[in-house]
Amino acid sequence: MTPLDPGQLVGPASPLGSPAPFWFLELFKVLGFTLHQVPMHLWYAGLPLAALLSLLPGEPARRLRGRLLTAMPLVVAVGINLGVIPLLFTQVAYHRVFYPAGVLMAWPWFSVIVLLTVAYYAVYLGALGERALWRPRLARRAVLAAALLFPAIGFIFANYFSLMTRVEAWAGLAARTDAAGAVTGLALNTADPTLPPRWLMLFGLALITAAVYISVDTALISRPERAGDGRFAARTAALAATVGVALFAAAGWWYTGAMRADIPPVWLGLAGGLPAVTWGLVLLQRRGATRRAAITAALVQFLALGANAAARQWVQNMELAPYLDAAAEPVRVEWSPLILFLVLFVIGLAVVAWIVAQVLAVHRPQPTPQSNPGRS
Amino acid sequence: MHYPWWYVPALTAPMLIAVISVLHVLVSHYAVGGGLFLAVEVGYAYRTGNNALLRYLRSHAWFFVLITVVYGAITGVGIWWTIGLASPLPTELLIHTFVFGWAIEYVFFVIEIAAAFAFYYYWGRLPPRTHRAIGWLYAGAAWISLVLITAITAFMLNPGRWPVSGGFWTAFLNPQFLPQVLARTGGALLLASLYVYLHAAVKAPPELRTLLGARSARPALLGSLLILAGGALWYVFLPSSAKAALEAASVLNILMLLIFALTAVVFVMLYLGPYRNPGWVTTGFAILFFVLGTAAFTTGEYIREAVRKPYVVYNVVMSNGIYPPEVSHLRSVGYLEGGTWTKAYVAARYPAMLDAAGRIDPSRFPALSASDRAALGRVLFQYHCNACHAVTGFSGIRALTRGWTEPMLRDVVEHPEQVRFFMPPWAGTKAEAGLLVEYLTSIAPPVPPGMRYDGTEGER
Repeated sequence: MTPLDPGQLVGPASPLGSPAPFWFLELFKVLGFTLHQVPMHLWYAGLPLAALLSLLPGEPARRLRGRLLTAMPLVVAVGINLGVIPLLFTQVAYHRVFYPAGVLMAWPWFSVIVLLTVAYYAVYLGALGERALWRPRLARRAVLAAALLFPAIGFIFANYFSLMTRVEAWAGLAARTDAAGAVTGLALNTADPTLPPRWLMLFGLALITAAVYISVDTALISRPERAGDGRFAARTAALAATVGVALFAAAGWWYTGAMRADIPPVWLGLAGGLPAVTWGLVLLQRRGATRRAAITAALVQFLALGANAAARQWVQNMELAPYLDAAAEPVRVEWSPLILFLVLFVIGLAVVAWIVAQVLAVHRPQPTPQSNPGRS
Repeated sequence: MHYPWWYVPALTAPMLIAVISVLHVLVSHYAVGGGLFLAVEVGYAYRTGNNALLRYLRSHAWFFVLITVVYGAITGVGIWWTIGLASPLPTELLIHTFVFGWAIEYVFFVIEIAAAFAFYYYWGRLPPRTHRAIGWLYAGAAWISLVLITAITAFMLNPGRWPVSGGFWTAFLNPQFLPQVLARTGGALLLASLYVYLHAAVKAPPELRTLLGARSARPALLGSLLILAGGALWYVFLPSSAKAALEAASVLNILMLLIFALTAVVFVMLYLGPYRNPGWVTTGFAILFFVLGTAAFTTGEYIREAVRKPYVVYNVVMSNGIYPPEVSHLRSVGYLEGGTWTKAYVAARYPAMLDAAGRIDPSRFPALSASDRAALGRVLFQYHCNACHAVTGFSGIRALTRGWTEPMLRDVVEHPEQVRFFMPPWAGTKAEAGLLVEYLTSIAPPVPPGMRYDGTEGER
């Protein structure tokens, strides 16, 4: 067989041209991924944490597990929907590499639909167990199943997005999964040396985000009245953040070593430095979360997630540079739907903020609670 | 042809889209109609102080959240997932045309999620006025998301002036937009009532069941009228090729008959049952009603997909991922040469087929062994035909070509659109058609043994 020029496998640009300027697509891709990371990290790290907490004796552990699990159905719902926006803009800006990578690993990618459905219902069963609406033993097993399924889904995602930029691997994978010139869709990008550290970096960062969430929940949302609960939550958060930052640093080190030599790890320094600041802020609260420290830690971690998303984007563009310059694709801007989207995006945020404000108002002490017969 | 082709044995990759889509629409319409049901009925229960109804509605809201927010949301994303794998080029076209439509849809999805969770989880804790308002926010956002996604599916069936003038709004406000919005809004109202009857038959006490049966009958009847109006307009604004396909394809004849019969039965059951005799809504009635209604929906979705052939987007992109203007170019340079992945495949496997300039030279095909020629013919089959035909299985080519002679095969391969107008034209050279004929000849089985034509046994 004659070796191929990998660039030959990248098809032509869309004849329609991009409906938005490249910077706009990149901005929303990074912003969307930053927002998506928050709930995504909570299910990646929150579910294994909840599973571990079920092994610990004592009421503070049980109540912290309950707080994590009862929030999880909402977290998963929000996470799935927030994940769609960056995926949309990825398909516009990077369609020439996005679709071939997807087809090569079509079955694993397709299986995400099934895995996610099972994982999501397992999350519900776990949450029902915490509210004594499902058998506790089965609920714990469901949480364990979800805690294993979500990382499996993460593994498939890491495969996809690393394969998207590893054009040089496509011909080999297509040959191995050949079906008379078509492909069986059974490939995975497991030979990529950056895949394991990418995946582990995600878990490290996810543990830190989950630790911040526990601090915020303890200081601002649930505000457990029992002092023991607050202390236990703070210690758990500190431990999770410590393990997370260690894992993130180790995997980051591995990742920079596995990356192509011509990609300078400048941005990764910033993306890697901010989680360490968050870790410090969580550690400061190890004797008990405070409002100000929790909010500061949340803001810093959000910045860290943004820096991480931007760094990933930068690396992605560098990796693709030999095959595709997405910034040079033809553009034919559709201004009116673009503006409409921006306007509705702001209105949508305002509506969601209003709903959240109504919900938070419920948690404030009410002098005369209104009678509502639907309440059980 | 610009992307690799995903080979799914027996079923074909695009049929996976159909499977996921049908699984999704049966829930997505409920996500819209059910939201309206909850907003209206919660308001009614608060107004009338009907505590029993409020308690029932709370249990229905839980069922609703579990079905729509989990299963509905994932299968919705799943359709999008699957079209990118099974029809990448049409997906590329749709994404470039409608990216902001989809982005706006997801803004409304986020509102739906926030509203659905606040509505259910803060039931009894929110003031009734706020609770009702959040219910209506959900219902409004869900209906807008229906309108947005319907514009995209309607565009695929009839893009109107878009192929000439382009532009988002021309694509969005296509001739099929209003008919399909009417039909889908009606479908959402009707399907929601079927879900309500099913759930109420199991969960609601008899007196509430009667009340719910009566109150849900009117929106369901309104939904039925909207389906009729939308369906009629859908037919009026169908491209001629789709109308012709409805007449020509026997499977579509049967499905059209089936959908008319099922729809009529559902309407009669609705009128005689919940509308005139709400007490009839027993568990058995509700199950039968639900099964018939979902069968009608499934049939409708299949017909909607099937009449588009040979296009994924009418007159814009064909089911095998070829833009019509590319056909003449491919007939001149060759399909294998023109396809990104077919070219790479031939270059890697059969480098002797390339000329000095690195182009695939059809005059070199005869130098290949018969099995290699058939193998290249199979490559052409995968990329040119497998979107609609499996080898064995769905619309299986072996079964379809049973007993065909080589001249017949050649005639069909070189002029498929003349044999069946809903097949895409051949987009390759004559030499490539020869390769495909060799492959099809190698797999076509003979006429079943024992058949007699004019007194002679029908062996090929």
